[in-house]
Formats: sequence, structure tokens, C-alpha cells
Amino acid sequence: MALRKIQQKEIKSIVPGPVAGIVSLFVPGLGQVLAGSFQRGFLLLGSLGGSAGLFIWRVHLLAHREINLMAKFLKAFDRRPFFVGLIIACILLLWLWNAWDACRQTKPEKKSGPAIFIIIVVIFFSLGWQISEINPYKMFKELPDAIPPLSRVLWPWEAAVEREKEIIGAGAEILVGCGEGELPPIPEEVPGQPYIMSDPRCGDLSSLDENNQIIRGTTLKLTGRGFAPNTKTQIWWIDSLGNEFRPRQEGQYVEFMTDVKGSFEFDLIMPYRLIPPSAKGPQYQRVEAKQISSIGKLIVGDPLRLTLARMAETIFMGMMASFFGIIFAIPVSFLASRNLMSHSWITMLIYYITRTILNIIRAIEPLIWALIAVVWVGLGPFAGIIALTFHSVAALGKLYSEAIESIDPGPIEAIQATGATRLQTIMYAVVPQMIPPFVSFSIYRWDINVRMSTIIGLVGGGGIGFLLVQYIRLLDYRAAGIAVWFIAITVAILDYVSAEIRQRFV
Amino acid sequence: MLEIKHLVKIYEDGTQALNDINFKVDAGEFLVIIGLSGSGKSTLLRCINRLIEPTEGKIIWDGVDITSLDQNRLRQTRRQIGMIFQHFNLVKRSNVLTNVLSGRLGYVNPMKTLFYQFPSKDRQMAIDALKRVGILDQAYKRADELSGGQQQRVGVARALMQQPRMILADEPVASLDPVLAHNILGYLEKMNQEEGITVLCSLHYLDLVQRYASRVIGLRDGKIVYRGSKEDIVAMTDDQFREIYGEEAIRVSAGFQDKGKG
Repeated sequence: MALRKIQQKEIKSIVPGPVAGIVSLFVPGLGQVLAGSFQRGFLLLGSLGGSAGLFIWRVHLLAHREINLMAKFLKAFDRRPFFVGLIIACILLLWLWNAWDACRQTKPEKKSGPAIFIIIVVIFFSLGWQISEINPYKMFKELPDAIPPLSRVLWPWEAAVEREKEIIGAGAEILVGCGEGELPPIPEEVPGQPYIMSDPRCGDLSSLDENNQIIRGTTLKLTGRGFAPNTKTQIWWIDSLGNEFRPRQEGQYVEFMTDVKGSFEFDLIMPYRLIPPSAKGPQYQRVEAKQISSIGKLIVGDPLRLTLARMAETIFMGMMASFFGIIFAIPVSFLASRNLMSHSWITMLIYYITRTILNIIRAIEPLIWALIAVVWVGLGPFAGIIALTFHSVAALGKLYSEAIESIDPGPIEAIQATGATRLQTIMYAVVPQMIPPFVSFSIYRWDINVRMSTIIGLVGGGGIGFLLVQYIRLLDYRAAGIAVWFIAITVAILDYVSAEIRQRFV
Repeated sequence: MLEIKHLVKIYEDGTQALNDINFKVDAGEFLVIIGLSGSGKSTLLRCINRLIEPTEGKIIWDGVDITSLDQNRLRQTRRQIGMIFQHFNLVKRSNVLTNVLSGRLGYVNPMKTLFYQFPSKDRQMAIDALKRVGILDQAYKRADELSGGQQQRVGVARALMQQPRMILADEPVASLDPVLAHNILGYLEKMNQEEGITVLCSLHYLDLVQRYASRVIGLRDGKIVYRGSKEDIVAMTDDQFREIYGEEAIRVSAGFQDKGKG
């Protein structure tokens, strides 16, 4: 419709029809321009040039190894026949139509129709589909793989509670390097208590030779008694510095079951461990057998406990950021409202400077502010509060100042006429009019800030996002699910509450 | 008491609102300004207390030129001049009493009033003012809960609080129905006659002008085109009225004549 309107007052064509058509075959749209339809010509040139350029880029990506242009097309067609075929067909169609249209435009009664725009839309839609790598087939094909983690996220409550762990265990000292010192004593056996002894009580740790091949250490014959029967038992190694770790054998952590009497015998190869060069005297290390069983009373699991703590942190982060945001935004908003600042050029200058700064701060997302704040004050909720406060001041400053600009000037005039000072005028004529929009915007901002603070942790800004991203990276989908559930619950409650409060106030 | 000399106002967009206005007001007068919308009545009234800065000319108030005053002295002058507006200009979300008390802002300690604290004698004064305009029972209602006539009475009470020597009334009854118009103008007349407060009032309806004015000025396109005494205005004919209001204007009676004179 817009095109038709413009063409009604168009100039006459300066070339005959066939010439315009041929010209358009060489430079798309030029024929239309010569025929006097400038907008149409530039639109055609833009869409044909743009789509051809984007298409060549995608073809190049599909066949980047081929050097020859023709070979590139053939290879690309081979890989994505539908996409390449469709685009070529559409572009050709558009090109030919463009020539015919140029010819048509030379006639006084200029015609146009929506049909060609459909072709342009088809071209850009197909290019968009290919460029943004949309792949619904993959979505369905990989759904089965996604179901286990997704179902854990959707119903994570098994991880919410766990049983207290009970550990029973016993250990024995081992001397590294027989003859380096006195042999450690044989552990004393107390009836009813678990007991472990090693034979021999000294030996060499596993080590690496110059080709990084492992040299097996001494095999220790471990004998244990008095453990819980038929229970999984882990072996732990404690070096002379007190570092505990679980040795592996054949790539697996050393683990076995005790027999019916609660005894075991196991051959342990002394693990690989470097002795620090500064170590002096005989090095005594320690082997321990541990049985960990979840038989205690039910307790709140770590994920739930941490989630609750972090959720509280998140809500308060949002609250503090809103609080600081409001406090700073109020004076700023007065500086950023045109009607209060328009009485001299100095105040107008302040107005423009304030507005510009607010616009810049607001244009940068809180996540990016958080990245900056993390550099500034380190990881944690304070960084998140700084980021959210910055963004809140800018956003609220703008909203407030727009509210100030839309107030009724009548009362201001009336209060001024009583001989009131500038400050009195603000307090008596501006502030009472500001209260409803201020309250409304502030609560809305609080709502936004809590929602934002749930994700600000993704970049280290503290709050629940910090925990969530850790759980996701550890592939602990149940724990992540608990965090996601609490975010959803909190945001939903907050949404409802803030809507209610705003409704009551305004 | 008040003398306007060669007053000119040209707005930033180039509109000439006032063009060489000269007139004098004696203490105790009820001067009515008539003229079409856009003839400069509001601008003229607002120039007197410099709500609008005049471009040129002098406004002599008690021998002092208001246009040359600094902010402090301007405020001291403003508080002697009450103002009433067509759209009342009340602070709608504040209660009636606060609106009335705000008339005292020019007199009280500015720091105390920032927290909405007023001396008790001012509060008593506000209550008396509300009693005088007959809406004491509405004192704690929000201003926007009141009807138009009641809101304008709050406006009158606010002006009273300034203990003014002069009142500027910018079409004070243009948004009210005829009965209320007489009510409000009645208060102004009473203040004018009993306390000798000078009144400068712009009005639209000839009948109201004939009933209340002690002197009349007619404005058209920012110029004074008519000056008349009370006798002149009572004797004014439709033709003269049309002279001021332009050819297309017709005399608007709106039923004021009977009530006004009776």
C-alpha cells in the first residue's frame, strides 16, 4: 500500500520498457530507478544483493575446502540439496521478476502486488533457518538422551533428604622404604573394634620411570577383622602430610566387600605418591579401611540446605539492590526530568548529561555489570548487589523522571504563587503527585531485581545462580533441579505479591 | 497600588501574548479582565506575580518594580498576592487541610515545612478559613474526592491563608456551573468589600462581569481594547461586547442575569 501511494506522484519513465528490463537484468533495481520508481528499485537491489551475499557466505561455509566457486556450489548442493536448490530457485525467480517488473514500471499505470514480497520473505526465512542452525530433527532424535537429566531436574526431591552417614574404620602405619627407619608398631587389636594389619609394614611407593611408565610399589597384604559383615569397604591412603586420597587399582577405586564374619584379606599395591624433597627422617604413611553406610536418621540434604541458604541470600540481594537503587535514583530522577530542569541552560546541560549517563548504564545488562563488579570487589553477593544497583539506578531514574515529567503543572504553579521556595514547591506540589508511580515502579523493580539476582550468580555475583551453575557443571541434575524449583517458586510468589501491592497502592 | 507599564510578553515560539499593556489598579478595586480564550488574560495575571516572566515592561507594586526583584524579595511579594485558578490546581493526593495550609508556605520556616509541620496558629487559621468557605467537615478528605465547587472553595481558602492584599483569579468559575459560580465570586466579593482586598479577576460571561466588576478591561490579541467603569459595563450592549470578543461571538447569557441581579 505504501509503495502504491508513493508511486501516484511519481515522475515519468525516462527509458522505454525493454531497455529498463535489460538494465535491470544487469543491475537489479536500476531499471525501476530509471523508470522513476526509486524506492522499489533500491528495495529490490537491497534484497537481491543481500540474499545473494548471505547465500554465498553459507555456501562457502558448507564447502570451505573447495577452492573453485563452481565446486563449492556443487559440494554445498550435495550436502544440503533442499536449501541450496530452494535459494537458487528463489533468487533466479526474483531476478527475472525484477527485469519484468522494471519493464512494467515504465508504463504510466504502475502496478505492484504483494506476490514478490512472499519470495523475498521465503529467501530470508530459509537463510535464517540455515544460519541459525535450526534442526527440529535433532530435537526429537536426542530427546531420549535428554530425558534422564530432565526428569531429575523436573522431580529432584529424592536429593532433598538423605540419611546420616556412619563411618567405621581402622588404619595401620606403613614405613616408606624398608630400612629407612624403625618399623611402625603392629596395631593393637581391641575386641569388638575394627582392626587392620598390613604385612609387610614397610615398602616402596609406586613411582614413574624416565619414560613415565609406572613402577609398581610393594604389595601389602591387608588383613582386617571386626568390620560390618557383607558391607562395601573402601581403602584410603594418608600420606605423611595428612592428605587423604583413595588409591586406584586397574583404574578403579579400591573397594571390596567384607565376608559374613566382617573380615577381609586384600592385596594392595602401594600407591603413587611423591615424597617432598624437603622431607626429613623416616616417612610414615597410613592405610585405612572405611565402611560408610547411610543408616542414620533422615536429615536435610546438602543441595536443599544450600539452596535454601542461597535463596535467602538471593532475595536479600534483590532487596538491598532495590533499596540502594531507589535511594540513588530519586535524586538522579529530579536531575533527569525536563520540566524541573528547563529554566536555564546550566540545568538543561545537567539534564542532558544525566540522561546520557543513565542511557549508557541502562544499555549494559546487569550480567555485564556483574562481571565488572566481580573484578572490582571479588566473587560473591556484594558484586551482584553492585551490578543490580547500577542497573536499577539507571532504570528507575528514567522511569521516575518520566513520571515527574508527566505530573500536573497546575499545583506547582499554585504553590509557587504562595511564595514558596523551590524546595517547598517540590515537597508540596511534586512529591505528593510522585508517590503512586514511585511506589509502583519501585516494587516492580524489586521484583525484577530478585529475578535478576537468581541468574547474576552465573557470572560469580553470588546468590542461587552461583550454586545452580556449579551443580549443572558437576552434572548433578537433582541438586540443580532443587535450585530451579526454588527459583520458580520464589519468582512466582514475588510476581503475585508485587502485582497485589501495586494494585492496592495506585 | 499596582501599576502595569508597557508590559510585553513574547513566548519562545514567537507568539506575542501581551502587547504594550498599561493600566492601574487602586486598592480595593474589583477589576475584571474580559476577552476571548487566547487573548492574553492568563498570561497577564501570571506576569503580575511572575509565574511567567514578562519580556518587557514594568509592574509597580507599592512603588517597587516586581520585574526587578530577586528570588527572595519576589517570594515576599508573592505571598501578599493570592491566586485562584480555573482548574483549582489543588494537590489532588494531599488532604484538604494540607492544601489550605500550603497557602502559609511563604510565611513559615522552610525547613520545618519540609516535614509537613506547621505552627499551631497556622493550623487554627486553616480551620477558620475552611469554616469561612463552609467545608470544614471535608478537612481530612483527599482533595480529589471533593466536587468541583468544593475544590474551588479550597482554592479560595488557600488564597485566604496568605492574608493577601490582592487576589489574582484566573477564570475562577469557568469550570463550575452557574450557581457555584455565584457562590465562589460571592466569597471574592465579600473579601473585597469587607477586608478591602483588591481583586483582579478574568471572566468569560458578561452577566457575571456586570454583576461583580467595579471596573473592566477588555483584552483582544494581547492589547487592551476596552476600558470601562461599573456604569459603562452595566450599560454595555451586545454590539460593544461583540467588539471585544470578535465578530463571531454571541452573547452568552447562560441564565446568569436573573440570579446575578436578584
